[in-house]
Amino acid sequence: MNQPLYVVDGVPIDNTNFGQAGVWGGADQGDGMSSINPDDIASMTVLKGAGAAALYGSRAANGVILITTKKGTVRNGLGIEVNSNYVFETVQNLTDFQLTHGNGGYDGATPQTSVAITPKSIETHWNNWWGLQSWGPKFDGSPTVQFDGVTRPYSYAGDNWKRFYEIGHTLTNSIALSGGSEAQNFRLSAAQLDNTGVAPNTKFSRSNISLATNSKFGKKLSVNSKVMYSNEKTKGRPNVSDSPGNEFLALMYLPGDVNVLNLLGDPNKPGAVPSLEQQQQQGIKVFDGKQPGEEFQVSNNLWTQNPYWAAHQQRNEDVRDRVIATGNARYDITSFLYISGQAGMDWFTKRGTLLTPQGTGHNRGGSMSEYEYRTREINFQYMLGFNKTYNGKFGVNAFFGGNRMRRTNEYISANGSGFNTPFFAAITNARDKNYDYNYGKQGINSIFGSVEFSYNNYLFLTGTARKDWFSVLNPEDNSIVYPSIGASFVFTEALKAFPGWLSYGKLRAGWAQVGNVNSVSPYQTTLLYGAGSTHVGQPLGGFSSGSNFPNPNLKPFTSTEFEFGMEARFFNDRLGFDVTYYDQKTTDDILNANISRASGFTTTTVNLGKLTNKGIEVLLTGKPIQGGVNWDVSLNFSKNNSKVISLIEGQTEVIGEEPRTRTVFIKSIVGQPFGVITGQTQLRDPASGLLVYDANGTPVGDGSYKIIGNGVPDFTGGLNNSFTWKQLNLSFLIDFKSGGDIYSGTNVRMTQAGFTKQTLLGREGEAPLTVTGVIADGAGYKPFTKTLAPGEAQNYWGQLGNRAAEKFIYDASFIKLRQVTLAYNLPKRIFSKTPIQNVMLSLVARNLFILYKNVDNIDPESSYTSSNSQGLDYFGMPATRTYGFNLRATF
Amino acid sequence: MKYLKNIIFCSAMAASLLTSCNKSDLKDLNINPQALNTIDLNFLFTAAQLGAASGGSAGDNRYIDWRTNIGMASTAIQQLGTTGGISNTGDKYQDNFETSSAPFEFIYGDQLKDIGEILKQSGPGGFAEGKNPNLRQAARILRAFLFQRLTDYYGSVPYFETMKAGEGIFFPKYDKQKLIYADLLKELEEATAAFGAPDPADGFASADLYYKGDITKWKKWGYSLMLRAAMRISNVDAATANTYVAKALAGGVFTANSDNVLVPMAEAPSLWTNQNGISRAFIPGDGGEPSFLSRTLVDFLKGPNTGSITDDDPRLMILTGGIGVWTPTSWTPTISDPTKQKGLPNGKDQTMLEVIEGVTPLDLNATYSKINPLLLDRSEPYMLMNYGEVEILLAEAAQRSIGGLTPAVAKAHYDDGVKASMQMYTIYDASFAVADTKVTTYLTTYPYNVTKPALEMIGDQYWVNHFLNWWEAWSNWRRTGFPVLVPTNYPGNVTDGKIPQRLKYPNAEVGGNPNFSGASANDYVTKLWWAGGPE
Repeated sequence: MNQPLYVVDGVPIDNTNFGQAGVWGGADQGDGMSSINPDDIASMTVLKGAGAAALYGSRAANGVILITTKKGTVRNGLGIEVNSNYVFETVQNLTDFQLTHGNGGYDGATPQTSVAITPKSIETHWNNWWGLQSWGPKFDGSPTVQFDGVTRPYSYAGDNWKRFYEIGHTLTNSIALSGGSEAQNFRLSAAQLDNTGVAPNTKFSRSNISLATNSKFGKKLSVNSKVMYSNEKTKGRPNVSDSPGNEFLALMYLPGDVNVLNLLGDPNKPGAVPSLEQQQQQGIKVFDGKQPGEEFQVSNNLWTQNPYWAAHQQRNEDVRDRVIATGNARYDITSFLYISGQAGMDWFTKRGTLLTPQGTGHNRGGSMSEYEYRTREINFQYMLGFNKTYNGKFGVNAFFGGNRMRRTNEYISANGSGFNTPFFAAITNARDKNYDYNYGKQGINSIFGSVEFSYNNYLFLTGTARKDWFSVLNPEDNSIVYPSIGASFVFTEALKAFPGWLSYGKLRAGWAQVGNVNSVSPYQTTLLYGAGSTHVGQPLGGFSSGSNFPNPNLKPFTSTEFEFGMEARFFNDRLGFDVTYYDQKTTDDILNANISRASGFTTTTVNLGKLTNKGIEVLLTGKPIQGGVNWDVSLNFSKNNSKVISLIEGQTEVIGEEPRTRTVFIKSIVGQPFGVITGQTQLRDPASGLLVYDANGTPVGDGSYKIIGNGVPDFTGGLNNSFTWKQLNLSFLIDFKSGGDIYSGTNVRMTQAGFTKQTLLGREGEAPLTVTGVIADGAGYKPFTKTLAPGEAQNYWGQLGNRAAEKFIYDASFIKLRQVTLAYNLPKRIFSKTPIQNVMLSLVARNLFILYKNVDNIDPESSYTSSNSQGLDYFGMPATRTYGFNLRATF
Repeated sequence: MKYLKNIIFCSAMAASLLTSCNKSDLKDLNINPQALNTIDLNFLFTAAQLGAASGGSAGDNRYIDWRTNIGMASTAIQQLGTTGGISNTGDKYQDNFETSSAPFEFIYGDQLKDIGEILKQSGPGGFAEGKNPNLRQAARILRAFLFQRLTDYYGSVPYFETMKAGEGIFFPKYDKQKLIYADLLKELEEATAAFGAPDPADGFASADLYYKGDITKWKKWGYSLMLRAAMRISNVDAATANTYVAKALAGGVFTANSDNVLVPMAEAPSLWTNQNGISRAFIPGDGGEPSFLSRTLVDFLKGPNTGSITDDDPRLMILTGGIGVWTPTSWTPTISDPTKQKGLPNGKDQTMLEVIEGVTPLDLNATYSKINPLLLDRSEPYMLMNYGEVEILLAEAAQRSIGGLTPAVAKAHYDDGVKASMQMYTIYDASFAVADTKVTTYLTTYPYNVTKPALEMIGDQYWVNHFLNWWEAWSNWRRTGFPVLVPTNYPGNVTDGKIPQRLKYPNAEVGGNPNFSGASANDYVTKLWWAGGPE
């Protein structure tokens, strides 16, 4: 939701996310920015805050990433630039699980008398649903019967991550040709990227071609055009969050005595039940009656999959073809007056296949979908501009213009379930077929203007205004006007009376407003109906908005920002700082709010009261050593305090996301920072404040949701050091985050199933688990202390996540060595006799080490979705490290 | 200068092209070419009717029955038994969010939403105001049926303020069960009385999945629901129960199995919409939930003389297909001898069963009876209410002299109820026909009010009559305490060894509805108002 707008050479481009994992799992289906060839980018500028909105419109409310691509160069002959990059990637196992107890469970009539056992028969393994439980006794090497009926020693089987994950490789090559004259020049580039991921059977490749031309006709007319084409193929997008198709979760759930290689099954069809012959040879027994070729599962839990099946048999692949084309013309009517026009198109199709193969545990018949998205966005813009300086001192730069945006989305899919010819996964072979179709069109019409006065290049005053009309809102009230004013003053230029050590000083202040409708999609303002399916021949009616209640009264939201900044450099720019303070107020923010099911709907789109964000951003730069060795250091630091001032009328809370454990919610609560994490905590005796337990020593939940954390950090920053010596450059970047919390659903589940180290507490032969607090006694409470028997301890760990969410909230602070780069510019004399002009070699390593963290088993940055649910973890993608090698040559 | 004028003119033209026609142009863009502004209310009604059977219209017919009807009720009231799966929740009194939340999420979010729209749009100011009068009354009856289910699982639930998102009520208040029942009875009375003559042109006959537009049958169902609701509150509000049982009798309740409310199901076009959700939950390779009968049920059906079939309930070999192996492709019974049928004891795991049976390892498939797969075809009709229940309720009313009935007629109603219950299974398979003589034999083997006290026999029959409809069997057990069930006490259970009395509310309500403070107890053990618990 809070995505910035990407603008490539003046034209907004689509960065729609095609779907995220949610509570119920799913895969990140990618977004729009992956299409751009990074070697085509000349510069990237981040325009923060609302000030950018006058030119780029309401969608710029969250800032703009302004990308300028490389243009043709005026030169003699042909310029050639070659770039080669190779990166390899390894998975980072951050788990620190107990490795002393394996598959099994507790056996006995009561928790007091239960003892941990490991299955001695396949029946015990399967009928007790123990396949994903690590509650067995201590490893002793005795025989245990595993999921496949094979008896193996009950001892630690080794690191399954190393067995399952692979080394990822990415090779990128690009070449660019450029040349031409002042009047006509061009740049043509091509790039190819090929990647295989760390998860088995994952691939990504991208091909890019782009052509940019610049022409000048006479002195007054210039015409520029650019066409970029990209083709992206993705195979094996991994599922995260909930269990279906989530190989990472499946791997995590394997008890320590199970070797993942034993789940390979049929060598010709990884993850499938082997042939009867192979079963006989290896003594494999398939307890759940699955046939050869179907999923080889480790437990009756149909949803937790064989990781090889998820990786090799499930398919989630797509091909995206995309054309981004822009053209603009500018005519200088006089030396100070110009008009310009621009047209831009971003058009792509994404053609994909989803397959849950026949034989999958939770969908034994199998299902598949062949789908295509089509999106087209066209922007027309014109501008009339005036730019003149009077007396060499007083300047006026003004323009006004209009923009017309139209965007069409279409989705069509052929879906099927069951296959006529067994195991033949083709949509034409599906037994039951249906199709899906979706269509949406929207537009924004805008007019805008801007005036800037400057005096002597040290005093600037700017005023802008823009009006947008949005098609997605009720036509009665679908427009908004938003102005901005700003001033900046370079005082070191204006007043020469400063001491020599102050080399540069600038003050700036601004006030800006922007209106936006960001998350509103077409047709969301009226309750509409459809009848898309039938039952026994009768149409089934329903609501076209599904479980969302359309809100006819939606209006654009306004964000008003005041910003003050100062920039100064000292001692000939050896030391500098840039400080910004902002105070932003958002009124009527648009949000999909969860509402009670008893209203008939699950969500509604509402204008949400008022939020404030106040913060400070600091950049310190320094050049401690200059001369033979140059040392450049920069430290950035930012801190933001948000606060919910008001919500929907009459409400003090609005609930948002929840993870698959369904034990916590992200909430907006009046008076609190935006997006706090709330959960059911363990009940406390109001009199003594002591924790309440039941007679089994299990926590008693308090039955209401309390704030247990906040996903938003106190501050974040980065420290970059760069050392240059002759042609050699070494730099490293350390990222840090302080404060902010993360609720780990991964740790909840891994505790319930006996994997985390804390679950050793209370097991036989381990340190005892003693709880101290109070227990209910009539209407009040009395003191209670109990040392739990192993069976009771298992029960304790099983219930802990459900009754005491606060036990799984962690401080998400970290310090990470994010990047280390070593670059070497080959001395020019080596190739002075060749056409080569420049060669640079570099080594880049990313995400090398987590130097500091406070959360067990997961990356403190772990998440399963990039939506507004900061602070929730549930079996997201495992962290990786990358090491790269780059060669750049220009001719 | 002429040049300049042209340019200014052109840019002015461009400006006007871009901005002048904002309103109509943008307005047209916001018309969804794929959706309707109004809809034939019959279509919404069909969807609600389908939804009442496992939420098919919500596009996931496997969810609600699997989670709650099977997951909680079937094992809690000891008709099924298991060592694992979702039904372990009811078998071993465990906590499961989804089992608890499913009815709240589906009944409000699917069926009641459709019905709410029908009542709104056919009511004052609606786009179909005054049209489809009979459909409207039928929708009111279905609404009462659904709301009774909801309050029977949770106690206090949102009622009067529901389905009012259009009025800005996103977080409805909770209403007490007593008030909900009073209004449900009023609704049933008004709706049954308000039916008019059938109108062949109104489309109701083809839209109505249950009765093909037969108004007489709708009225019978309305009065039968009135009887069910009145009897449900009879222990705590005898006066109201008395009044409405009398009204139901006067109006006319079910008189034959042909009155049973059946939702027809189909294999196609969609697995997730059109098939029977109960069947899907059990079918191996689909839901694959364990399908063992409970020892309590099998022992009841076999009678005290376990070695002989003479005292068997004729339903024994209807409800079970025997002991055997059920795969996605076939059902292979290995033991079909009725005397050898054996139920799986509730509240046990594999190891406990091995101790009980004295066999290690124990093959469950070779040991315990399974549900008859002939009851679980994908296109099996889904039964919402049957005639047998009505007669059994009348027997109870008579035995307790409610609604003007007297104990003298109790036996006749009881016998009719048992007979209807035994003979209703032919809709699943023709081989399930039970001859009248077999019914008579059963009734003479277990004479009314002789084998056990009358009310206990009535409770037992209500229970066995609701195989597959475990929702209702659970509710009646909670009110009457019959059949007498021995609770289990599996390690780690969350009810202190008591059979659950209610479902917990969804966490989204606990954490998200500011009016949640009006809800009743959020646990598994507090009795509902009609079961003698707090209002």
